[in-house]
Amino acid sequence: MSGADVDPMLHEARARLSRADKVIAISAGKGGVGKSFITASMAAALAERGRRVGVLDLDVHGPTVPKILGARGEITAWKGGLRPLRSGNIELMSVGFMIGEEPLPSAGGEKMSLISTLAALTDWGHLEYLLIDVPPGTGEEITWLLRALRGLEGAGVLVVTTPSLLAESVVRRLLKLLRDERVDVLGIVENLSYFRCGGKLIRPFGEGAAERLSREFAVPVLARLPIDPSIEEAILSGNFYRSLSEEVRSAISGLVESVETLNPAGR
Amino acid sequence: MHEWSLAEAVVNSLLSFARKEGVSSFREVELTFGEVMELNRDIFRTAFEELSRGTPLEGARLVIREEPALFRCNSCGHTWDFDEAHKMLSHELGILEEPSGDRESPLHFLPDLARALLKCPSCGSRDFELVSGKNLRVSRVVISE
Ligand SMILES: Nc1ncnc2c1ncn2[C@@H]1O[C@H](COP(=O)(O)OP(=O)(O)O)[C@@H](O)[C@H]1O
Ligand SMILES: [Mg+2]
Ligand SMILES: [Zn+2]
Repeated sequence: MSGADVDPMLHEARARLSRADKVIAISAGKGGVGKSFITASMAAALAERGRRVGVLDLDVHGPTVPKILGARGEITAWKGGLRPLRSGNIELMSVGFMIGEEPLPSAGGEKMSLISTLAALTDWGHLEYLLIDVPPGTGEEITWLLRALRGLEGAGVLVVTTPSLLAESVVRRLLKLLRDERVDVLGIVENLSYFRCGGKLIRPFGEGAAERLSREFAVPVLARLPIDPSIEEAILSGNFYRSLSEEVRSAISGLVESVETLNPAGR
Repeated sequence: MHEWSLAEAVVNSLLSFARKEGVSSFREVELTFGEVMELNRDIFRTAFEELSRGTPLEGARLVIREEPALFRCNSCGHTWDFDEAHKMLSHELGILEEPSGDRESPLHFLPDLARALLKCPSCGSRDFELVSGKNLRVSRVVISE
């Protein structure tokens, strides 16, 4: 045979992902809805609960998880592959540690090959939870995700939306795709849901999107996160999770609790 | 030192292919590596042989071909080779190898980072292609009847 039917990097990526008890991909199809923020805060919340947690930042064009967590440093390589960087109690792998502030324009097929190789080379050790920050877009990155997660035991997708009609329509396509490709969806997280003003709840982007998607696809809404300026401040503070407002932290904590109940690690 | 991980990837993917296709043993495996990966063939061969022991890959002839790197700029048409590219790599961005303590360019581990780590030596554009000599592929396998 020609060998074309063997893709060693994708195969190894799946093998290494499957070493974690649970793999949760945080995806939206869209940018700027809070995927990276949610990934980073879920990781911090899981670590606080004593879980062994890793984050694979696949946003190769705009790696932001290291910035949110205030992680800096150089990756080391050994016989087992590339060691993630430890930040607090979180194991973090991101091309952000390798390309500094340089831009990375990619062309046909390169992104898929890059994220396969990154996932294939990373040596996580044993993790209970591996969170994947999925880049925006429903092109190559989603095709990769389908190939990587399809049929992988203990793997599922957490879909992030906002109440905006535009986000809803992008997320609907993503949910259709995940359903058709038989990739598990753990639930929906609605970000930028509301803010409080003088005791009143204001919903600037409308309401109902998460419920509609939840009904349509029979998946639960696991959390609603407020619009909260403390998030930007927390990122700048260098002590991200602790600096979040009580309200945001308790919403994230509730989210992590539902995820742990729905999808318990170590089983 | 990513030879062991790469060997693991190649061996496991071939073994899973063998399971699927009912292949009981391989006679030959030919791999093509991109020059930019700077693969140490001896380490790779040792890893491959060790990981193959007791599997349908044991005893297979391993052929390792290196594909020379060729870069071509879409902006000005300039072409260049790996030696020229190597000179342009920044020393600020690296991956630390253990236990040797050497620092290597991330390009060597993740060739698809080329456009972040390099620019065209002639015009400075990042709109170039790594026409050949980038990744790893299984270019041929011969199966025993
Ligand atoms: N609930 C929120 N309230 C206020 N700011 C938020 C909220 N969620 C995210 N942000 C901010 O919005 C921006 C985009 O979020 P990010 O997580 O980077 O989105 P994505 O990863 O989906 O592109 C960031 O600056 C982040 O701090
Ligand atoms: Mg992001
Ligand atoms: Zn040029």
